[in-house]
Amino acid sequence: MASSLEHFVNSVRNLSSEGSWRELYEFLGKSPDVLMRNSEHLDTVLDTLDPQQHSLGVLAIYMVKFMILNQSAIQNQGILVPEPEILINQVSQFITVCNGEQIRCAPDSFAELCNQFTQCLVEQEMPARGIVPLSKAIRKARMNETQLTSIHANLLQLCLMAQNLKPALEFLNVEISEINSENGYFDAKHFLLYYYYGGVINMACKNFDRALYSFEVALTTPSSAVSHIMLESYKKYILVSLILHGKVAPLPKYTSQVVNRLLKPMSAIYHEITTVFATNKPSSLELVLQKHRDVLQRENNWGLAKQVQQSLYKKIIQRLTQTFLTLSLGDMALRVQLPNVMEAEKLVLTMIEDGDIYASISQKDGMVLFHDNPDKYDSTSTVERVQKEVNICIELDMQVQKMEEAICTNPVFVKKASGAIDEDDGGRSSATSALQGAATKVPSFSM
Amino acid sequence: MNSIKSVNAVEPMQVDVSEENENAEEEPYIVENPTLDIETYTSSYHGMAKLSRLMFIADHCPSLRIETLKMAIAAVQETYNVTLYQQLHRKLQEAISGLTPAQIQALELPSYDVAWAESKMKKAALKLEKLDTDLKNYKANSIKESIRRGHDDLGDHYLDYGDMSNALKCYSRARDYCTSSKHVIHMCLNVIKVSVYLQNWSHVLSYVNKAESTPDFAESSNSKDGGQALVTHLQCAAGLAELATKKYKCAARHFLQANIDHCDLPELLSPSNVAVFGGLCALATYDRAELQKHVISSSSFKLFLELEPQLRDIIHKFYESKYASCLKLLEEMKDNLLLDMYLAPHVPALYTKIRNRALIQYFSPYMSADMRRMAEAFNTSVAALEDELMQLILDGQIQARIDSHNKILFAKDADQRSSTFEKSLNLGEEFKRRTRLLVIRAAVLRNQIHVKSSPRDSGGQTTEVAIPSSSGSSPRN
Repeated sequence: MASSLEHFVNSVRNLSSEGSWRELYEFLGKSPDVLMRNSEHLDTVLDTLDPQQHSLGVLAIYMVKFMILNQSAIQNQGILVPEPEILINQVSQFITVCNGEQIRCAPDSFAELCNQFTQCLVEQEMPARGIVPLSKAIRKARMNETQLTSIHANLLQLCLMAQNLKPALEFLNVEISEINSENGYFDAKHFLLYYYYGGVINMACKNFDRALYSFEVALTTPSSAVSHIMLESYKKYILVSLILHGKVAPLPKYTSQVVNRLLKPMSAIYHEITTVFATNKPSSLELVLQKHRDVLQRENNWGLAKQVQQSLYKKIIQRLTQTFLTLSLGDMALRVQLPNVMEAEKLVLTMIEDGDIYASISQKDGMVLFHDNPDKYDSTSTVERVQKEVNICIELDMQVQKMEEAICTNPVFVKKASGAIDEDDGGRSSATSALQGAATKVPSFSM
Repeated sequence: MNSIKSVNAVEPMQVDVSEENENAEEEPYIVENPTLDIETYTSSYHGMAKLSRLMFIADHCPSLRIETLKMAIAAVQETYNVTLYQQLHRKLQEAISGLTPAQIQALELPSYDVAWAESKMKKAALKLEKLDTDLKNYKANSIKESIRRGHDDLGDHYLDYGDMSNALKCYSRARDYCTSSKHVIHMCLNVIKVSVYLQNWSHVLSYVNKAESTPDFAESSNSKDGGQALVTHLQCAAGLAELATKKYKCAARHFLQANIDHCDLPELLSPSNVAVFGGLCALATYDRAELQKHVISSSSFKLFLELEPQLRDIIHKFYESKYASCLKLLEEMKDNLLLDMYLAPHVPALYTKIRNRALIQYFSPYMSADMRRMAEAFNTSVAALEDELMQLILDGQIQARIDSHNKILFAKDADQRSSTFEKSLNLGEEFKRRTRLLVIRAAVLRNQIHVKSSPRDSGGQTTEVAIPSSSGSSPRN
């Protein structure tokens, strides 16, 4: 082995045994060149290092291997190019056995490794193989359950590609309350991708309100430029909103202006669909959808569009339940613009079974009788439910209060608050007014 | 959905008709319209008001067109408005284009008087020059009062000439030279007048407010007749502006405060106008108690209603719940109303509102009502009535459910208890959702997540995302 490589191995061994991760991390930051030059010996180095004890060192080596893999052929002359298949196996193994504590000291490298790993899998078209390793990676990389890392986005991507959604749902159902900045590696892109993919996965599992929530988070990201991810999120947001609520709820006020100014004009088709939907005429909606069929298919929203059509029928029937006690099937077919009575009956039947409306069909008269929501809210299950909901809300409230306290006791904030007060006049001394006054003057903490 | 049109032409949810639409719709109505006597109708107006009304009628009523154009030409010759004169003659030529020469002879039409036109133009130009030089002199002498009067005169002349925007400019300029509150009020009235002709309603409202907030206004309005006339004048102008901007309830309130003895506004509205506008708006927007207090038992408005006995009957019948006859009378009045310049665009909306109100009032005492009898009372078919009721129920104006099988309308009590539970559970969901969004947003801001286009690499944030496969993105720099 070349001396520089020996030096590398020794440093890794020494620093690891000492447990000085910070220094090791810095040292490794300077080593990619060394490793690149000695690429043919990398495997030997891997054998000498233990992935458990010397995780950081091994991590650096794998990073270099991926770098070589990604470089073009010209740059790789004279360098041994690793086999993707083998590399994938090795990295999967590594992720499984690596030491979480060490990994957390080098979050950016680890995240980069996972990212490269994902890309490799995607290119090799073996997404399913990455799901388990990445799940493990997330569990090791995050500080607590509610923390978001860039690896989340990678995992969701693989799950979608592999059409294996259950592992993803496990992570999606956890409420995110923190983001792991990964020493600056975590980027808006990872955030947007996580929520976009999350929305798509929820949609595929028919959890439309979770999907809407995810898309809304993606759309309210602060931004000053157009992101394609946000554009796609916006289009799907509109369609899912139509399916779920029958109308497009306005985005919150803290959505950045980019959405209004730039995204809206780019999604004219979807706005058209919204306006036609509001007219409650299934035939017109059908026409509009057919007109834009190509575009919708290209943007992979055709399936959603068909579901929008179904939900229009449901919306019309729900309006009917609010106004009528009984309605003849013929009349209903007329009002919903269905071709005949059989279709109307079938649709009402489906809706009753799904629990979307409460009704009964009397075939003798050819009438549909609409009932009110039979749930009288007077059973123990109601009490339990209300109790549970109240508890969750209280918990959430406490969480927000804790966050507020954390800010209030943050020395930087207190300094700025008291500094602002000194500027105005020295009279006010109460903490609350200081905080209130400062809240308007310290924009970085405002929401 | 509405494949069956009701006998009544007033459909629920009909949007305001545009001018063109009116033209097409009105043709069949006008022929049966002997009730509008042009002479008496326009005798209560003067100047531009008269001319604009005559022109409106000419545009919308083919049978009366030639007569009104004749009258308009006669009226315009008293002013300096030569452009309008030419316009009217052109319209007259169009109107008679379909007639035979013999008929034209019989009509005794005035011919286009070129000499008159030219001489008037010259006179107008001369007068304009004179007023201009006068004004310059006054300005040189810096006597506020004369400058103000000069501006006023200039404004009057422009108005006569038909140049509204310049008139408005002159009147507004007089503002700087007003020394007493009377002057301010006078100026406001002038501006209001021109703004009404220009149909600039926000202007009208702001100047009405300005006049009302002049310091001495309260005094003068209580003391003498002139004050009362002023109040009425301002209320009518304000009412007209609110009507034009579709604020029917406010318009009704303004009109109902007018005083008939002092309602002498030939340049704005006639008393019968006030009666009609006020009555209809009140009928469309006031509930029963208000209608009783402010319209039926109001001593001042009663005198207005005497001028329009038809409207008085309509209001009384509505109050006595005789809906069929009330709505029938309304239909009869409709033709005349469609010829009124300010009311015409709002007639369908007002009628719809009145009809809806009638339906709601009809049903309010009942737990269940037979829709067939209701349809009879409202002069419509059961199917159309069903549609109307459906819309009202969805809007939340009637709490009821339709039993389409037996054609009965059942009043429905909202079950407070269940709805409370439902609402609270929904609110809980909403709270959870918003709080979670808040927590995430706090995290985003803490980590300064921000989408920006990176200046270095052109890729930046714009990687194509196509589900399920994503094309290989460029390695992170």
